[in-house]
Amino acid sequence: MSRWLGWIATAGVPLLLLGCRTPQPRPLLELNGLLRQSVNSRRAPDLGQRWLVSLGERGGRERVELIDLTRRRPVTLPGLNRADAQPISASVSADGERLAVVQQRDGRTELLLYRRSVAAVQRLPLDPPGVPRSVSLDGSGRRLAVQVSRDGRWQVDLIRLP
Amino acid sequence: MLALCVSACSSRQEQAAGGLMDRSQEDPALSGDGRLLAVISPQRGRPTVQLRSLLDGRLLPLPSLKRHQPHSSPSLSWNGRYLALVTQRGRRRLAVVADRLNNRLHPLPLPGGRDPVRVSLSPDARQLALQVADQGRWRVELLDLSDLLEPDRPAGAGLTTPPLEPQ
Repeated sequence: MSRWLGWIATAGVPLLLLGCRTPQPRPLLELNGLLRQSVNSRRAPDLGQRWLVSLGERGGRERVELIDLTRRRPVTLPGLNRADAQPISASVSADGERLAVVQQRDGRTELLLYRRSVAAVQRLPLDPPGVPRSVSLDGSGRRLAVQVSRDGRWQVDLIRLP
Repeated sequence: MLALCVSACSSRQEQAAGGLMDRSQEDPALSGDGRLLAVISPQRGRPTVQLRSLLDGRLLPLPSLKRHQPHSSPSLSWNGRYLALVTQRGRRRLAVVADRLNNRLHPLPLPGGRDPVRVSLSPDARQLALQVADQGRWRVELLDLSDLLEPDRPAGAGLTTPPLEPQ
């Protein structure tokens, strides 16, 4: 009997303390190592369900990069990253199929929709005209919110996409 | 006060987002289901997060986020139960996740005393991506929140009991 009480005292108390520990967020070390590789810097993250889009800089040039977090590898985005374009903001749908991107090119700032399955870039005009800055897609990729500068003031436009 | 202006120029462009039109609105973030919109807008001169229902234009209360401005980089989970953003605590920036279901605020201090710049919450609230400065470069790091938060899944995607058979 006394041996059982001794066991409870030695094993039970640490288990009790473990059970009371406040849950903590845990760094995803392997993925964080992957995110450091192959770029000098990385910024502007946006998470889809298993997708991370961000702006990665390498050789002095920033590109939109999409990473499949389940397979732990980057996904190619043919036709999206033009050599003469500077990305500013990007957002990905939950299934990773659609990306919304704000970029500067030829002295103007434009809002784009990229569909991965067809590698198609579509320019989305703003009405009334304005300068886009920060963009957010909903999970389905069918609705988009974008920060737009008009007459010196920041506004937010909502765009429904087919 | 609420102004939703319809834009009819393009079949794709549905409307410009509402709000107090004389106030600037920045850093938009849609919930995964597209029903809620978070923006940063000045309140008494301090950049503060605002959450709006896009169904009826109503502003939704955020009692746990009335302080610690300036706010920046809001991000919503699928149904908008969770709102992640960057807040100010003294001279430091601190990422937090607000749980709108029970008004709890989860602070997420970073190891090494680093300050977050931007955050993005995955739609199911299992992961958070943070942009931080590290040795003079921007880095993106991922945190697993699954021990901290219940998942916020799309309607119908959770565990549900089967429908009752008709008698």
